[in-house]
Amino acid sequence: MDRNMKILVVDDFSTMRRIIKNLLKELGFTNIEEADDGQTALPLLKQGNFDFLVTDWNMPGMTGIDLLRAVRADANLASLPVLMVTAEAKREQIVLAAQEGVNGYIVKPFNGATLKEKIDKIFERVES
Amino acid sequence: MTQTEEQDFQPVVGREKRLADARALVEAIENEDSAGEAQLIGELTAAYSGNIFDEVGRMTREVHDTLKSFAEDERLGALAEDEMPDARDRLRYVITLTEQAATRTLTITEEATPTAEQIVDRSQRLKGELAKVAASEADNARLGGVVDSMTRYLDSTTNCAERLKGQLTEIMMAQEFQDLSGQLLMRVIDLLEQLEEKLVGLLQITAPVRGAKGEDGRSAPVERAEDGVGPQLPNAGDNVVKNQDDVDDLLASLGF
Repeated sequence: MDRNMKILVVDDFSTMRRIIKNLLKELGFTNIEEADDGQTALPLLKQGNFDFLVTDWNMPGMTGIDLLRAVRADANLASLPVLMVTAEAKREQIVLAAQEGVNGYIVKPFNGATLKEKIDKIFERVES
Repeated sequence: MTQTEEQDFQPVVGREKRLADARALVEAIENEDSAGEAQLIGELTAAYSGNIFDEVGRMTREVHDTLKSFAEDERLGALAEDEMPDARDRLRYVITLTEQAATRTLTITEEATPTAEQIVDRSQRLKGELAKVAASEADNARLGGVVDSMTRYLDSTTNCAERLKGQLTEIMMAQEFQDLSGQLLMRVIDLLEQLEEKLVGLLQITAPVRGAKGEDGRSAPVERAEDGVGPQLPNAGDNVVKNQDDVDDLLASLGF
């Protein structure tokens, strides 16, 4: 896995963006950008050669599930690995996210070990 | 028949009159006097329905009085117009305060973590330099002793700083509460807004003089999983995952 890969962290709560960013830094990732909802994230993704998207679900403007759909519908972004880190914990939501093509799903509250494990797993699959 | 049902059908006309009517009804049927039959059935029914009309009248008065006292209750007006918006502002302020506290804590942990890393790096470097000095002065027993105890001190410093780094990460993770509590509070604020709107609407119906605020008649938004429904409480039902293991199991069952 390339530690220099470009990661976009999307969450409407700045506290959570900061926590995820710090955890990613601890895991050795340094090339991290932020967006506060799907609407601001999508143009960034379209321009920016991102290698990995970490997104919340429940956000004003454009939700994470709609962002995931938009990513999968865009020919240039369709294969972008997407990890959801969200407080949304209903089974139907996790099933929906899986159907829409999410690569990993973490429910808040979570910890650094879980984040590392899911990222490792996602890139194991992507690279194999 | 139960006690209440008996009471509900208590006729208002005396027993003698009812008996006479009943006998006359039998007679009318026997004589095939359909006009008389219809009239007698009407009279017999009226003996009971008089009570129902009284009851409806009483209920109507009660509803009227209740609505009147509702409209005249200043407390409800104050609740809808001042206290509920005030409660929302307070909750918003709680979100602001927790965000400030979380941000402050994150800033400090972000500053402290590199400090802990520096302590580890410098301790290890110093340990290496001391080892070189000790090796070049191998015959100096006194120096060797000093280097040994300093090395032990530097190792314990390294351990402490590593532990400190882990603890700083824990403190950072604990700030996650701000996101979760913030989301929950925003939902309560939403609920208050809806309640307030309904209460204002009701007050307008009962007392139109109260002013024309919030009359767009907008219906309460329906929660949709698609839009996100926010953090679930610990005692939520079976359709909610309890922890990351549940998520992983569910995804595994979908072939993940």
